Amino acid sequence: MKRIAPIDIAGGILVVAFLALLPMFAASNYLTGVLTVCVIYGIWASSWDFMSGLTGRENFGHSLFIGAGAYTAGFLSSIWSTNPWVSLPLGVVIAIAFSLLVGFPTLRLRGPYFALAMLSASAILQRLCLIFWEYTGGEEGIYGLDPLMKNPLHYYWFVLAILAVTVIALTLLAQSHWGLLLRAIRGDEATCQAAGINVTFYKIVSLMISAGFAGLGGALYAHYQLQVSPPLFSVVVSITVIIMVYVGGIGSIYGAAVAAILLTLLTEMLRGFGEYRLWIYTLTLMLILFFLPNGLIAPLWRRLTERLR
Amino acid sequence: MTDLLEVNGVTKRFGGLTAVKNASFTLKKGEFTGILGPNGAGKTTLFNILTGFMQPTTGTIHFNGELVRELAPYKVVNRGMARTFQLTRPFVGMNLLENVLVACMSPRASEDKDKEARASYLLGQVGLGGRDKEPVETLPYGDLRRLEIARALATRPDLLLLDEPFAGLGSSEIEQLAQLIRRLHREENLTILLIEHKLREFMALVSRVIAMNFGEIIAVGPPEEIVKNEKVIEAYIGKTEEAHASA
Repeated sequence: MKRIAPIDIAGGILVVAFLALLPMFAASNYLTGVLTVCVIYGIWASSWDFMSGLTGRENFGHSLFIGAGAYTAGFLSSIWSTNPWVSLPLGVVIAIAFSLLVGFPTLRLRGPYFALAMLSASAILQRLCLIFWEYTGGEEGIYGLDPLMKNPLHYYWFVLAILAVTVIALTLLAQSHWGLLLRAIRGDEATCQAAGINVTFYKIVSLMISAGFAGLGGALYAHYQLQVSPPLFSVVVSITVIIMVYVGGIGSIYGAAVAAILLTLLTEMLRGFGEYRLWIYTLTLMLILFFLPNGLIAPLWRRLTERLR
Repeated sequence: MTDLLEVNGVTKRFGGLTAVKNASFTLKKGEFTGILGPNGAGKTTLFNILTGFMQPTTGTIHFNGELVRELAPYKVVNRGMARTFQLTRPFVGMNLLENVLVACMSPRASEDKDKEARASYLLGQVGLGGRDKEPVETLPYGDLRRLEIARALATRPDLLLLDEPFAGLGSSEIEQLAQLIRRLHREENLTILLIEHKLREFMALVSRVIAMNFGEIIAVGPPEEIVKNEKVIEAYIGKTEEAHASA
């Protein structure tokens, strides 16, 4: 299949190196913290893009997987006091279990069922957290998770490395024969069937992969915040992730990651504007999506590097 | 020769409308059969039922001795029954090679280890050789039909179902495509079932005709008998004399 172009590899290394060195210039825990959140959003956005961007089946409840990973970490680390490193693999497993629960009955159908089921499943989980407050801590959530690393800068580098691995793994998959099938499903399911392809199988497995990385991101986020609370399951998180992917250029994966980092940084930088910050943020997004329906990051990168390919 | 396909009492009702009524026929291995009938006779519905895209209301379909009714379309393909669509449905945004590659990923093609080489070879087989990297968007209709056939061949079918392959093509394109289909039948040991409106090309290609009208099979036989069959003349040729003369 297609190989990743050298210019893309060079660009990727440059961006990761820049992000890794950024906290060194302005040594503040605040900046490191913001960048950690930026990078975790990058994991969430690129994992959404892999399934929904490639197959065209929009997932309106990615927060289900994010929250599942985060709450798994919360229960394990805070309530059952397990080693924090156990959270990461188990967060992945639980998120994948949820993807099967929703994906299995709805991905065999065409139409909006999958999108709606994801949206409701995440909303239901958010409610359940409040209803079973004795176990989940209700509105306040679960406190007192153990950090994975003492030094915030080391943790930031660790999360950044995981983002890099996520983007590389998902990009390689997207450019393999597997990714070709996912793009074919986006094009025409009936033709895929006529080509002898088990469309449902490929959609479910791609959702499992997407959920696994989102759950990992959720667990990483929980061990950064050292607490988890119901808003992690909220529609706002899901929609934010989708917007990031659209700004990044749908189906590009790396674009989603870069857009997630930039948009999270933008919200932080706009804090100075107080009440007006949401206005500015929303207006920026509307302008980008209106004038650049194919997104900003990936199309721009392709254009800049056209001659070097 | 053994029966490759055995259709028994297949009926399809859409509410009050009976699109296919009690259709029964068999196809022998290596045969080249055509389904003839005016618009709305139920030909495409029958195709959709055979390939699993629709389920019959009643009736059974056996393929290679195995019951295929209620199998999903992709499973039917992987049993060796591939189809093309009347309206070609390429994957836009992909090049010719990638379009065929998708079908090379089907379980039935699992023995073709070098998928790219296989897809490229098939493009050559249907007369699209050396154009692997071309986008499908710019392809003329006749070439899209060839691409459909290449994609169907990638699943290594025993039975190939062609849904109006000549519709919308010019006469020189039709002649070339007919040659390709004839060659595939001869050289690849394919059993072919074809739906077509263009009577002249149809009669020249097939060795046996199943004539349908209003969802019912009204006659089965070699082309020279079918054209003399009174029921067929009444249902089809009588009504579309002008179209026949100009075809």
